[in-house]
Amino acid sequence: MINKIKGLPLRIKMTGISLAVNMLVFIINIVLLVAMNRMSDRIDTVYKANLQLNEISAAIKDVQDSMTEYLDTKTSDSLEDYYRSAQSFAEMTEVLGDEITDSRLGRMERSVKNMSAAYLDEVGQTVDAKRGRNVEKYRTRYEEATRLYGYINNYIYSLNNERFMDNTESYREMLTAFRRFELFGNLIMGAVIFTTALLILNLTSNLMRPLRSLAGMADEVAKGNFEISTVPAESDDEIGVVTRAFNKMVASVQDYIEKIRQSAENERILKEKELMMETHLKDAQLKYLQAQINPHFLFNTLNAGAQLAMMEGADRTYEYVQVMSEFFRYNVKKGSRTVTIGEELELVDNYIYILNVRFSGDIHYEKDIDASLTDVEMPSMILQPIVENCVNHGIREMLGEGKIKMSVYALDDTACIRIEDNGAGMDEETVERLRNGRPASDEKKDSNGIGMDNVYARLKLFAGTDDCFSIESDGPGKGSRFTIYLDIKGSRYR
Amino acid sequence: MNNKKFNLISIWVITGTLAVLTGLLLIFFIAFSGSLSSPHDDVTYGKYYVLITDNPGSSFWQSVYSSALEEAKEKDAYVEMIAENLSGDYAMTDLMEMAIAARADGIIVTAGEADGMTELIEKAYKAGIPVITLLNDNTNSERLSFVGVGNYNLGKEYGKLIIDMANFREFAGETIDVTVLLDAGSEDSGQNVLAAAIQEAIEKDIPDAVGRHKPIAISLEAVDASNNFSVEESVRKLFVSGKENIPDIIVCLNENDTNSVYQAVVDYNEVGRVNILGYYDSDAILKGIERDVIRATLSIDTGQLGRYCIDALTEYYETGNTSQYFTADSYVIDKTNVGEYRKGEQHDQ
Repeated sequence: MINKIKGLPLRIKMTGISLAVNMLVFIINIVLLVAMNRMSDRIDTVYKANLQLNEISAAIKDVQDSMTEYLDTKTSDSLEDYYRSAQSFAEMTEVLGDEITDSRLGRMERSVKNMSAAYLDEVGQTVDAKRGRNVEKYRTRYEEATRLYGYINNYIYSLNNERFMDNTESYREMLTAFRRFELFGNLIMGAVIFTTALLILNLTSNLMRPLRSLAGMADEVAKGNFEISTVPAESDDEIGVVTRAFNKMVASVQDYIEKIRQSAENERILKEKELMMETHLKDAQLKYLQAQINPHFLFNTLNAGAQLAMMEGADRTYEYVQVMSEFFRYNVKKGSRTVTIGEELELVDNYIYILNVRFSGDIHYEKDIDASLTDVEMPSMILQPIVENCVNHGIREMLGEGKIKMSVYALDDTACIRIEDNGAGMDEETVERLRNGRPASDEKKDSNGIGMDNVYARLKLFAGTDDCFSIESDGPGKGSRFTIYLDIKGSRYR
Repeated sequence: MNNKKFNLISIWVITGTLAVLTGLLLIFFIAFSGSLSSPHDDVTYGKYYVLITDNPGSSFWQSVYSSALEEAKEKDAYVEMIAENLSGDYAMTDLMEMAIAARADGIIVTAGEADGMTELIEKAYKAGIPVITLLNDNTNSERLSFVGVGNYNLGKEYGKLIIDMANFREFAGETIDVTVLLDAGSEDSGQNVLAAAIQEAIEKDIPDAVGRHKPIAISLEAVDASNNFSVEESVRKLFVSGKENIPDIIVCLNENDTNSVYQAVVDYNEVGRVNILGYYDSDAILKGIERDVIRATLSIDTGQLGRYCIDALTEYYETGNTSQYFTADSYVIDKTNVGEYRKGEQHDQ
């Protein structure tokens, strides 16, 4: 029922309320009016009885007068008058009550009726006697009739008086009742108006509440606060429709804003990454350029040296210079690009060769390469600095035979490059320091200038994760292990 | 949500209040209409009797009337004292004429023996209206029945009371003067019977009483009851004609006389010297007995009087005939039994 009402359109609701209230007031008015009408009807009937008696009184006077007139003059006019008045008097008394009741008025009425009949009879006999010229008889009859006339008059007078008193009494009672009714009616009317006003206030505030909360929410949205709860739609009327539309609008605005925020965030992260990568590369290149001021000049010089060695038949010198030239060219050529594992391994080979020439073959370099992984991409200038690190800190100062082992193998979707030495190893503190990307303080001398921190940072940028590089050592004097983890798939389809 | 619930509740509460108010208004309206249009559903009766007496306002006649009315209502009839309805005073003959003209079903009248009354009873009889004479008979008329007290017995009672007083009380004069007040206007044989009975009772007593009490002289005094104040005037006359002429014992034969004599005795400071024998047991008369001003009074069973009248009329309408005479009981009330009598009266009420 309530839900049915709630589903009605607003205009019907409003019309319904005003109709109901008006109907109520109308009904109450009708009731009051009917009561007033009854009151006036009753007053009418109260005095009608008095009026009737007065008429009878007048009629009997007519009869008496016309009879007397006839007795006096014996004119046919007066006789006619007499018959007419007697007729009308008889008709009037006919309607009087004929019952013996507890009510004195009723009994008196009956007596008047009976006496009137007796009187008319007497009068009739008087007139007949007069017409029959029976003087003696009409005189006595006349006296008799006149006496009766007096009695009836007195009866009517008394009855009238009695009735008037009775009427006055009932009129007073009625008036009191009516005053009470009036007061009560007014009180109820007032109460009805008051409660009706309450009802209208209540109903309209019920109707307007969703509208107000909607306006409040719209204000919030206007201030820029989209984080609002939805406005409950209580009804199916026009306001309900507006409310639901508003809710939908707020929700879609919220969605839209979220999407924009997300894409901005993504863009920011991407830009940041790119910037970092560039920065580190620039750093590496700068250091490289600082070390080899003019690589082209150096290559040309070295090539010239190599040709000289060939002409002189110094094949080993030729090869050495050739390798060295390639080593440096790699730096220049690949410095800024992504390279393959194969290219990086070649650079390491060249480096080891150079070192072995330099240090008379002290370094034993072993390789265990999964050939299928040589195409996997990785940043340039990564493996050589690590190997250099192994040489400089691991095996240069050791007494025995220094060994470096390079392994490339697949582990699920990851290509692993492991570089092991059997050199000095590291204590726990050093391992920890390297893991956190802080190089040892004496690192710079005798290297091509790319530190482990740089390597590590570039690897992280490339892989996009921190778990791309691990450093392990079983302790001082027990060698070190460096492992690089590269995503095979990501690299191949990059 | 809470607010909403509250609103819903208050809507129902308000609507309920409105409904209750409207209901109240309707109920009140119906009650009001009812009070407006209260119809006179009076009881109706089959017969209409008229009671006509002199002095209808006296408590004696009111008592008779109320018992008659009570009896009449039981017999599906209504009895009315028409004089009470009318403005102005009418003689009983006028009232008789009215009752005849109004076609009463029966007339109860304290007739008396006057000729005019006899004629009217004749007229009523011709009109088919039975007439009952009450207390004062009209022996020569066509009246249906007479309802009264045994005047002879009543006179005997008064006589006995007078002899008792003569025996036991002191009287100043040579003889004991007894005055019987009679209604001058009414030619009522009943009064005469009563007075004769008193006389007889006293005379019969004389042989026994010789030497025991002073001789008793009875005189009859006519009281003029023709108009309202004449009774009082007549009674006063007894007292203003000289101390030696004031009777020792005054016998009153109606309530009005008794009251007037009682007052006169008090006014002329004759309490103790003048002994009153009263009539009827109105409150004032009983008080007079208690105060020792009225020696004794004869109480007539007014209830019986009223009832007998109606019974006679009822019997007449049922059987076409009824007894000629009905006699109501009477008894003496004096100082010795007045208290008891009052108690009985209260008990009856």
